[in-house]
Amino acid sequence: MTQTMKAADVVIIGVGMVGSIIAKELAAAGYSVVGLERGEPRFTVPDFQGPGVHDELRFDIRKALMQDNTREAVTFRNVSSQTALPIRRWESFLPGTGLGGSQVHWNGQTYRFQEQDFVLASHVRERYGKDFLDPELRIQDWGVTYAELEPHYDRFEYLLGTGGKAGNLKGKIQPGGDPFESPRSREYPTRPMKEHYSGAMFRKAAGSLGYHPFPQPSSNLSEPYTNPEGLKLNTCVFCGFCERFACEHYAKAVPQTFILPVLLKNPNFELRTGCQVQRINLDSSKTKATGVTYIDTAGREFEQPASLVITSSFALNNVRMLLLSGVGKPYDPATGQGVVGRNYAYQTMSTVASFFDKDVIINPFMASGASGTLINDFAGENFDHSKLGFIGGSFIGAVNTNGRPINYHPVPPGTPAWGKGWKKAVADHYNHTVMFSVHGSSMAQQQNYLDLDPTYKDAWGQPLLRMTFEFPKNDLKMADYVTAKGVEIGKAMGAKQVVGAPAKGPYTVTKYQTTHNTGGTVMGADPSTSVVNKYLQAWDVPNVFVVGASNFPQNATWNPTDTVGALTYWAVDALKKYMKQPGKLVSA
Amino acid sequence: MSARDAVRLLAAAVLAALPCSAFAAAAIIGDAAAGATLAAACQACHGAQGEGLPTAGFPRLAGQSAVYLDKQLADYVSGSRANAVMAPLAKTLDAKKRADLAAHFASLSPPAAAGAAPADAQVLARGRLLARQGDEAKQLQACANCHGPDGRGESFAAPYLAGQSASYLTAAIGEWKSGARKNDGGRLMAEVAGRLDDADIAAVAAYFQSVGPLP
Repeated sequence: MTQTMKAADVVIIGVGMVGSIIAKELAAAGYSVVGLERGEPRFTVPDFQGPGVHDELRFDIRKALMQDNTREAVTFRNVSSQTALPIRRWESFLPGTGLGGSQVHWNGQTYRFQEQDFVLASHVRERYGKDFLDPELRIQDWGVTYAELEPHYDRFEYLLGTGGKAGNLKGKIQPGGDPFESPRSREYPTRPMKEHYSGAMFRKAAGSLGYHPFPQPSSNLSEPYTNPEGLKLNTCVFCGFCERFACEHYAKAVPQTFILPVLLKNPNFELRTGCQVQRINLDSSKTKATGVTYIDTAGREFEQPASLVITSSFALNNVRMLLLSGVGKPYDPATGQGVVGRNYAYQTMSTVASFFDKDVIINPFMASGASGTLINDFAGENFDHSKLGFIGGSFIGAVNTNGRPINYHPVPPGTPAWGKGWKKAVADHYNHTVMFSVHGSSMAQQQNYLDLDPTYKDAWGQPLLRMTFEFPKNDLKMADYVTAKGVEIGKAMGAKQVVGAPAKGPYTVTKYQTTHNTGGTVMGADPSTSVVNKYLQAWDVPNVFVVGASNFPQNATWNPTDTVGALTYWAVDALKKYMKQPGKLVSA
Repeated sequence: MSARDAVRLLAAAVLAALPCSAFAAAAIIGDAAAGATLAAACQACHGAQGEGLPTAGFPRLAGQSAVYLDKQLADYVSGSRANAVMAPLAKTLDAKKRADLAAHFASLSPPAAAGAAPADAQVLARGRLLARQGDEAKQLQACANCHGPDGRGESFAAPYLAGQSASYLTAAIGEWKSGARKNDGGRLMAEVAGRLDDADIAAVAAYFQSVGPLP
């Protein structure tokens, strides 16, 4: 029997980064807000404390902080002619679970997208002509502009205490920063991280080739910081346990450090953990949500009525929630019709390994999640693509991160995969290798999409999400081109051997790449190609808002978190407007 | 050389080879025997074997990381650690003597000094909680994250706290809090000390004293 809870103004599905920021703002505005989190409550003390938090086997290899895929997996296939199978061990991407969401185990890399990214389709048409694009691609404009999002990027970065060096302040190029970035209204709230030796080598080599190196923006803090919510973050100690781990030092910007203590004090907010939302409930007209139905850890079913439903449960889960609830028309790749699940994109990840002699000592174990030196010379639209036959790009950077003993063993090609030869190579190269991340954009194409799996179900009997994804040819061309540029930088650093590994198809879910899953509930100005409007409000059901990287029409060069944060504050303004005129589509 | 020192030595050797290393290689290769002859001047306050003088708040130095001790002496000279007694004394030592002294004290392992006042069980329980777990309400992480299990010290940068006298630890945390001491790079200890009230300072100091010197 379903128990009906007291109605709330707002119910939020997923109390991670997006959910906790929105909840804080709406609760502070006087609305009653219920936050439903499927995972456990967890806090820096006691849950993230040493020495247990540095258990590499538990957190890195066995993925202790991730979505429990014995209960709720994702099925995968490369192309529609295959049968998708459930991913039984997360490798390619690592969706988190629990209070604070996936941000708890992030690396802290905090980039803005550029002006052109938000108007990509128009920009490409204008710059290269209407026939330039590979016809299989499905790129489109976001419906929102960089200028509209700038104040929200700013607010989000000041919430987190992001460290960096501005390259463009109100249109004036700043020495030491990224000259390609779109204008910022003010400097970063904190200084850049200290530069590693590998970063210094990269800066010198990239500079000698005429490129524009800059410090990687980091939300692992470079100095003590008090954010506008009055919460204090500490200085990162470069412990080397960042991505896949929680931070014991209050030094990584995560909901536990930048917003939850304020949110949880507000009596207008109620957090309920262990709540697995089954669906958003719609009334008979199918144009109005009445609340959500969830099951708690004891197996009891509840209905939570609410005037407004917000789903903020990670890109993949946002898509699945809409599909399970019948919000928006599911995408059909055969006809190109429908919108939910459309334009799933990812990130195109390549690497360059530069092997040095033993007199060059890198100390990869001294690491944070975001202490590197980068260039954006081959990112996004920062270079002319007219003769290259692809769009998009990658940043290239030497980033000291994750140099942990079980999972980090850079060895040159030809090294035996096991045994004495492998051990010797690991010992020879561990401390004398610089790894570049070549972190690239991912374009949407007609055949890549998300839908509900016809066969496999979760522990509650609901269909799993099915992912159909292959790297677009455009992106592989891009990866080849930019990785070759990275190899040139490695050579200019004086490495004795430089090995480029551009992304190659077929895409595999068995190898870690990145957790930057995007698209599926795309935002836009046209309801025939987007699920939500520019205010992240479902076209078909105006009292449902969907917020996350699932809103990206295609993925840009950089890590998505800063843009998700900017969209979150952008949505907050729209939500406040909506609450004054409920039931209607928000307008400017 | 204890196993712990061997690890420190190895780590420091790696660091010393770093072109941009800020750590002084000299500290690790300081001459403990030469330091022993210099140490006579230290004994009145720090004890014949570096065991410290709890009744007067002078810290135990025995078995402390040589790199850490060397850095403290250098910081007394630079003023990033302000101390009216130690600053003039440290200024009489050149870099080699500082390293030799540090190596000497790092090599000692006497039993705990007498005279430390015991604390009651409730105070110790609060101290143990802060040492091992921290306090979320104060956004205060466990001491163990940096200072090691039960304050045994981590590598060379984070000193041991176990077996240090409560009188010294109380004063030292007070120095972080007041800003008299600001020699830890990331201002980590200033942040931590700023979140500890007097009762918590007393508790954590009493706890680490009660642990006693660790092997």
